[in-house]
Amino acid sequence: MSWSPETVARAERIMQRYPERRSAVMPLLYLSMLEDGYLTDDGMREVAEWTGLTPVQVKSVASFYGMFKLRYTGKYLVSVCTSISCMLRGADDVMAAVEDEAGVPHGETDDDGVIAVEHVECIGACGGAPAVQVNYELIEGITPEQARDLVRWLREEQPDKIVADDLQERFGGTRSFDWAIRETEGAVGPFPAFGPYGTVAEEDRS
Amino acid sequence: MADLVKITVDGKEIEVEAGTPVIDAAIDNGTYIPHFCHHSRLEPVGLCRMCLVELETPRGMVLTPSCTLPASEGQVIHTKTPVVDKAQEGVLEFLLINHPLDCPVCDKGGECPLQDQTLGYGPGESRFVEEKRHFEKPVPVSDLVLLDRERCILCSRCVRFAEEVAGDPLIEITARGNQAHIETFPDEPFSSYFSGNTVQICPVGALTATAYRFRARPWDLRKVESTCPHCTAGEAIEIDASQNQVLRFNGIDADATNQGWLSDKCRFGFEFIGSAERLTVPLVRDGDGFRESTWAEALDLVAERLGAVIESRGGEAVAGFGGARGTNEDAYAFSKFMRAVVGSNHIDARMDDAPAAELLAAVQPRATIGDLDTASTILLWGPDLKEEAGTLYLRVRQAVQKRGAKLVVVHPRRTGLDDRATWKFTYRPGTGFGTLEAFASGAGDFAEARKALDEGPVVAVVGLTGMTEDPTLATAVAAFAAGLPDAKILPVARRSNTFGALDMGCAPGLLPGRVSFGDADAVAAFEAAFGAVPDHAGLDTSGMLEGLANGDLAAAVLVGADPVRDVPDGALARRALEAADFVVALDLFLTDSSSLADVVLPAEGFAEKEGTFTNLEGRVSKVNRIVAGPGQTQPDWSILEEIARRMGRPMGFDSAETVAEEIATVAPAYADLRWRDVERKKPEGVLLDGGWYTPKAPAGPDVDADMVLHLARTLYDDGVAMRQSLSLHHLAPGGVAYLHPGDAERLGVTEGDQVVVVGSAGEATLPVRFDPSLPAGVVYVPFNQAGVPSLGAGAAVEVRSA
Ligand code: SF4
Ligand code: FES
Ligand code: FES
Repeated sequence: MSWSPETVARAERIMQRYPERRSAVMPLLYLSMLEDGYLTDDGMREVAEWTGLTPVQVKSVASFYGMFKLRYTGKYLVSVCTSISCMLRGADDVMAAVEDEAGVPHGETDDDGVIAVEHVECIGACGGAPAVQVNYELIEGITPEQARDLVRWLREEQPDKIVADDLQERFGGTRSFDWAIRETEGAVGPFPAFGPYGTVAEEDRS
Repeated sequence: MADLVKITVDGKEIEVEAGTPVIDAAIDNGTYIPHFCHHSRLEPVGLCRMCLVELETPRGMVLTPSCTLPASEGQVIHTKTPVVDKAQEGVLEFLLINHPLDCPVCDKGGECPLQDQTLGYGPGESRFVEEKRHFEKPVPVSDLVLLDRERCILCSRCVRFAEEVAGDPLIEITARGNQAHIETFPDEPFSSYFSGNTVQICPVGALTATAYRFRARPWDLRKVESTCPHCTAGEAIEIDASQNQVLRFNGIDADATNQGWLSDKCRFGFEFIGSAERLTVPLVRDGDGFRESTWAEALDLVAERLGAVIESRGGEAVAGFGGARGTNEDAYAFSKFMRAVVGSNHIDARMDDAPAAELLAAVQPRATIGDLDTASTILLWGPDLKEEAGTLYLRVRQAVQKRGAKLVVVHPRRTGLDDRATWKFTYRPGTGFGTLEAFASGAGDFAEARKALDEGPVVAVVGLTGMTEDPTLATAVAAFAAGLPDAKILPVARRSNTFGALDMGCAPGLLPGRVSFGDADAVAAFEAAFGAVPDHAGLDTSGMLEGLANGDLAAAVLVGADPVRDVPDGALARRALEAADFVVALDLFLTDSSSLADVVLPAEGFAEKEGTFTNLEGRVSKVNRIVAGPGQTQPDWSILEEIARRMGRPMGFDSAETVAEEIATVAPAYADLRWRDVERKKPEGVLLDGGWYTPKAPAGPDVDADMVLHLARTLYDDGVAMRQSLSLHHLAPGGVAYLHPGDAERLGVTEGDQVVVVGSAGEATLPVRFDPSLPAGVVYVPFNQAGVPSLGAGAAVEVRSA
């Protein structure tokens, strides 16, 4: 067993919620990502052990979903929304700026392993389009120039904590009227920045 | 049985079972609906959309996949409307977008559903001008199967087979959309014993078999239906050959037996037929070696030497081994040869590797394989079916997995079915009788499982769990099962036509047609038919070997028998054959046994001769010829007839069919059963009825020792057919001693260390592997592995660090 005792304890709590072992595959995959930064072969083997699936069945699930990363995706993952609202508001230019400044195309991580770039489908911020996320923390109304600044800032500062409010202040533009994020904690890399819904995060707080 | 409902397909009203997928209902009633992902032995998924039909609904016609549409009363379906045509064209145009169309170099080209359906239902042209996707190719998904991903149409047949049927979900579709592809996990290949089936059901050439890849074009193949020669389940197969070479076996969907599936041993174990090491001319001993001879010389020599033994010591000084590796006709000729020509009842096809002959041949009430489909509880107390009877294993698995039958497994270690067992009991070899007693009384942990057996229908699958087990334990288990209120018994043994050979009287206590020596009238009938039937008590395999070794017996006839490899005490077999005055072997190869013979006669093998086969439920099916035997080979019956003639007692056979004719005339259970009757019932064959043996419980002693041996067979071993099938030979596990980690600790060894296992008849030095499924104090050694000396059948052994 290669997981840390804390991760094992979390996994045990997750397992209790699923009478059918295999149903726990998704939350356990998040755990595995938290443990290693991305889904390693060993991590997927581990999840297979817990769930009674075979590793390739676990991989079949993991590889279906875009937010399960099967490769290392940098210290900061910059996700540019290119769905319709953002696209109409100039997302293609934002994407081009991010790729150019980071020096890597969609789906890749730069040589230093600091910045990874991807384009994603609608992230639910259409009202503040175009939108970008860094480690799933949101910035709205961003321009191509601000996007360049953002990438440069990430590379130079390499902040330990990424917080949406802070990013929005530094690099954002017009916010949507229902901006509701008031997280002071923010992302605590590596990926994913959040615990499985209603499971780990909740219980860890208690 | 479910209710019948009426549905209308293209204006034709048909009656089907409610819930049948409409696609099957239509196809079975003569209306073909094209499809890729649908397979009648797999769960429907509706992935490929090729089977779209129009269904009349209150809201008008809807286009819907017919494979996921269960038949219900009054449905009206149209399969050939302009809308359906357009949908089919669209689906095919999509499927071909990424397909490489490399048909000229694809094994499947010429028998490919994608190719055929593109011709039949395709758009004729494509609008796709972009670049197709590319993958590295081919990648091995197992030792026997290769994958060309760009040909794959993602129907998931292979994935569903692996999970639903084989129970080895090691192959999956990964990623999504345009990236989706078939994959195995790194370092975890699709090493299923059943991987080859995916090659057969893949509707394109994405999965190909290493043993067949690039060997032939389908239109050059000649085909014949036959019965698989490897295990006792009697799978229906198609043999494909080209230029007098057997190139492939495919499974045929015979509902009663294999339902289309084959284990990889059955599917790829055909290579031995064309092996360059096949015997092609008679060999006569010359000092330490052999010299080639003419048939006339060799046969004269056999007749003379056997005649001399009979003259001086009587027919009962001759032992006959084998019969299970050939057809019923060969076995009958052997049985008659021993009884009527030689005058000996010493004949045994079981080679010390099967329970009592009466149990196998004539137990009642006897179950069929199909009874597993309706059993509420299945008791499996016998070999690990995954290793020894692959398609039977699949059938039991399916009964539990699909239908929820309860399964009780009793075995000395883990078996392939443990993951599906409702109850699993492990015991030390040698303590079977005590375990049975406790089980039968429902004591302790056994209570629930024992109770489940009181409610029928129950099928008890009974055989030897291993070779160190007292063979009468199987009889005792069968006796226990026979005493249950509603149970039938399915006896299992491993070697190919064992059941046919026993039915033909290749056992000391039996005469052809399941006749017992206790049945005076039937024996009298044989006396009339054979001229005479010897009345001395016959010896079984180990009795004959001991007799030869100590001089009580003087000569041996081996018909496709390799006692040195086949029996647990190989050293005794070697001594026996060396001590014998005269040994004649009818064989395909110079084996460890036939190389000790005085005369070796080259025999025709499977696919080279015609005849019949009887499977473990007593079902007779046809074995057919498609290639000529190499060189001067002859079928066994003909060789035996030639010897008989030279000994002045011809048996009266001049073709395999004349042997069959005699069987139909004299063998009661086979009365009036002729080849044409069997052919007419293909692919299932004819189920015979002729059981008279109600097992009685013999009380046996348990063995008490610090360490006991579990000696059992694995699917792949070092038997001669495997050794000569190059695709499979390297898959044998080799020599290993499996120990419980606790025992290993006690012995001061760990994985990879060498231990010496001292058995009742030999010792071997073997590397240790851990097996926590073993009870403490048990060492498991796979039988008949290359380079491992035989250990003997005694349960008590000594194990020490080397
Ligand atoms: S490899 Fe063949 S059987 Fe498997 S999904 Fe692809 S096309 Fe279907
Ligand atoms: S389209 Fe970009 S957030 Fe919805
Ligand atoms: S056969 Fe019905 S969707 Fe594939």
